[in-house]
Amino acid sequence: MNAGPTPLLEVDEVSVRFGAVQALEGVSLEIGRGEIVAIIGPNGAGKTTLLNVVSGFYHPSEGHIRFEGRDRTHLRPYDVAALGVARTFQNVALFKGMSVLDNIMTGRLLKMRGSFLLEALHWGPARRQELLHREFVERIIDFLEIESIRKAPAGKLPYGLQKRVELARALAAEPKLLLLDEPMAGMNVEEKEDMCRFILGVNDEFGTTIALIEHDMSVVMDISHRVIALDYGRKIADGTPDEVRADQAVIDAYLGVAHA
Amino acid sequence: MLDLLNTALIGPLRDMGGSPAFLVEVIIGGLAAGLMYSLVALGFVLIYKASGVFNFAQGVMVLFAALTLVGLMERGAPLALALLATALVMGALAFAIERVVLRPLVNQEQIILFMATIGLNFFLEGLGELAWGSNVKRLDVGIPDTSFMVWGVQINRLELTAAITAAVMVAVIAVFFQRTRIGRALRAVADDHEAALSIGIPLNTIWIVVWAAAGLVSIVAGIMWGAKSGVQFSLSLIALKALPVLILGGFTSVPGAIVGGLIIGVGEKIGEVYWGPLVGGAIENWFAYVLALAFLLVRPQGLFGEKIIERV
Repeated sequence: MNAGPTPLLEVDEVSVRFGAVQALEGVSLEIGRGEIVAIIGPNGAGKTTLLNVVSGFYHPSEGHIRFEGRDRTHLRPYDVAALGVARTFQNVALFKGMSVLDNIMTGRLLKMRGSFLLEALHWGPARRQELLHREFVERIIDFLEIESIRKAPAGKLPYGLQKRVELARALAAEPKLLLLDEPMAGMNVEEKEDMCRFILGVNDEFGTTIALIEHDMSVVMDISHRVIALDYGRKIADGTPDEVRADQAVIDAYLGVAHA
Repeated sequence: MLDLLNTALIGPLRDMGGSPAFLVEVIIGGLAAGLMYSLVALGFVLIYKASGVFNFAQGVMVLFAALTLVGLMERGAPLALALLATALVMGALAFAIERVVLRPLVNQEQIILFMATIGLNFFLEGLGELAWGSNVKRLDVGIPDTSFMVWGVQINRLELTAAITAAVMVAVIAVFFQRTRIGRALRAVADDHEAALSIGIPLNTIWIVVWAAAGLVSIVAGIMWGAKSGVQFSLSLIALKALPVLILGGFTSVPGAIVGGLIIGVGEKIGEVYWGPLVGGAIENWFAYVLALAFLLVRPQGLFGEKIIERV
């Protein structure tokens, strides 16, 4: 399933421990360029921990993480972001006091260069740069169909829209790898359909590689090229949606068969 | 009953109306004092917004900045050079604080960070005394502490200069926050640390920037206060007045710090001059705290703070 010689992301025998809790245990996986990979598993399986390790919020106790073939095990979140990894959070982490537009503009921060003095004066190259970024952001706003809430304070929006704005902010960074932590949690059917459409659209139009955590199995089976299942911090399955759906270990994990 | 009303309310109001020029002078005096509180509070707000740290050492930073400036000038440095050097010292201090205090304590409880700034408070006080001595120093910035008359109202040159300087500085900070990339990053960090990290904002750099900015604000506050009443260790006590200012204005609001400081400055001056004689004076000492207490009961988020909504 991996496109190209080196996969975009390689997770190699990664373990994460919090005190006595083993959140991840020797997990290895690869994500190829252009893939949509879903990470599934029961609550507490270590899905979010995996995302946090990849995005640099946690550091593994053992194992390595390679991004575009280079070791990135010990980078901090902002360095990971600079490499081209963007993410969203399970509980929506928007800048609640800022407008939707400003939120999305913050996603462009890494792309901005130039003098603070000129920026403060709104003059010359700084002004042109701001306009250029604004244009890109407007394209994302169009793409995600959030024109009408552009000026609204992000914290005041309904949950489904907040998730969409968070996705917009992540996209503004033009990431190579997009990590989505339960992008459809708490949404109604219609909102879920919209979100599916956007995720497929992002993958299709920008060629962005996407790894997402999702609980809704019909969504997972519909949009992902590959599914990775975790249980108790270990990888128990990795394959096409159909393979994983038929996998006995996965069925056991979800139905709660006693672990020997 | 009517008698009481007469002495407590009508009397003072009649005094105000009787001499409007004097009232204006009292208000101006209050604004000038309030501005000092505002500047100390502004330093608090900058740091609190960006790092969630309640910086108990803000008052000592004001003292430390003033001490450094005076100390350098006593050793013969011209004002401009001494200012530059003091700015560098405050920048270096910000860098050191991030390295030694904040970085090892990242993700700790707020109360622990608060305790750390109490430690910082004593450390800076000791360091200032060690480096520059503990005697009261006179700070002369070349503006005479004299007054001129406008429409029958006395205006103090030093206070006027201080007001203009403070206004310019607040404007610069506001523009910086609203317009620049770092300003946008600062607002992002203030709003949500995790999200800010995820979009590539280096928290540590931002912390150095805000502590340095708070240090620069301290220099201005230190100069004004020092020029008015000498550079002495009681200067750090004005930080205590910044607390009611923060409660009034809201801990996260830059305009709140300014307006809160001005309200308290004017309020305590008017209280002292017109109502002071009725209660034997010293209203200036407690007015701010009583006002803050009232605010805590009625509007705990302050004038400009975000409404506190607790999800249960």
